[in-house]
Amino acid sequence: MKKKTIIKIDYSLCGDGVKENVDPRECCKCLRICKPAIFLLHQTLGAKEDNPLDPECWRVTPLWASLCTLCMECVKACPANAIQITQK
Amino acid sequence: MCELCMKHGAGGKWYLNAKHYSDEVVEKYGLYDFLLEQYKNFEQMSVRKVSGFSPVGMDYRMRMPIIGRIIKNMAGNMLNKQRFPKDPFKPESHIGQIVPMEDAIAIIEECAAEPIIEKNCMCRYMSRGEKEACCINFGVMSEVISQLPRFVPEKDKFHLTRKEAVERFKAHNRKGYIGTIWFGPFPYINNLCSCESPECAGIRPRVDFGIMSVHKAEYVIGLEKNRCDDCGACIIKCPFNAIEKDPYSRKIKIDLDKCFGCGVCRHVCPNDALFLLPRDIVPEVAGKY
Ligand code: SF4
Ligand code: SF4
Ligand code: SF4
Repeated sequence: MKKKTIIKIDYSLCGDGVKENVDPRECCKCLRICKPAIFLLHQTLGAKEDNPLDPECWRVTPLWASLCTLCMECVKACPANAIQITQK
Repeated sequence: MCELCMKHGAGGKWYLNAKHYSDEVVEKYGLYDFLLEQYKNFEQMSVRKVSGFSPVGMDYRMRMPIIGRIIKNMAGNMLNKQRFPKDPFKPESHIGQIVPMEDAIAIIEECAAEPIIEKNCMCRYMSRGEKEACCINFGVMSEVISQLPRFVPEKDKFHLTRKEAVERFKAHNRKGYIGTIWFGPFPYINNLCSCESPECAGIRPRVDFGIMSVHKAEYVIGLEKNRCDDCGACIIKCPFNAIEKDPYSRKIKIDLDKCFGCGVCRHVCPNDALFLLPRDIVPEVAGKY
């Protein structure tokens, strides 16, 4: 069987509205470099629902891992070293 | 109900029916509140659970033979529903079609409800983090977007006259962006987009997974062979890889099944050899959307 690609982002380094973390909206390096555009930038689920017009809390989700070509460009580009790609 | 159906072919273009753009529809379904709710957290739509299932990781399941087909049918049916949805958090009844420049101009000139705006494309924002003003919106959608700063262009003009909107659309189309028109949600039309693949969240499910998320245009490309000098400029321009050079004869060859009828290849042909034909008069692809 064909192997499955597993892409993990460490949200203690990128996103989730913690001040020390990278704000993915400012960075976006993985989003831009990925040829098949497999990443999605979105408000973190459940965050700041009381004031969704100005949500502070965003993250990147690797949404289409099956389309990843394993070029590893995103891993290299990520300034927070937050992306890990493995195959199972 | 019948005039509201999504008719194809024989001159039945749902997107040229002015009713779908009307204030009547806006009021009937309370669209201001619905759309504000939907677009506040629009980018979340692709990661929220649908009927208990998380879409994250769904792509591998969609590649499985039997389960994959079931999931794809379900997703297609949800998007193609012809009924106003109850839940603004689900991508329901949100179906679109590819439109060439001529039809897009007709939409802007004859159907679009005012005010007309151009907003930052939400697909490019959520897939690339880029803010590019290239989505033309109409009516109540324009009012909703003015409440959401991340979609309001910083440099480009936000409110457009009909004439300006036509010029903007033409410029995007000439660049090679794919014209698309969307129910958002059925039966209201509010988005005339200029898309790119793989960034567009509406085109990707169709191209990469075979989900009926967007219909092909009412047209298909035709090639006037004796005008074409096989330069190949159109090959690079076609966003759906429908054009190639025959490996033996080195002549331009079009795969009609792959052609979505967007018409953008025409803009780069130096010899005017490419033209659009109504889909329903070309037997190989008639009725195939
Ligand atoms: S390895 Fe390459 S294809 Fe895969 S997610 Fe990273 S940039 Fe995209
Ligand atoms: S490149 Fe790294 S830090 Fe930047 S948005 Fe992507 S995951 Fe976050
Ligand atoms: S060949 Fe068809 S799909 Fe490709 S650019 Fe031309 S009209 Fe569009």
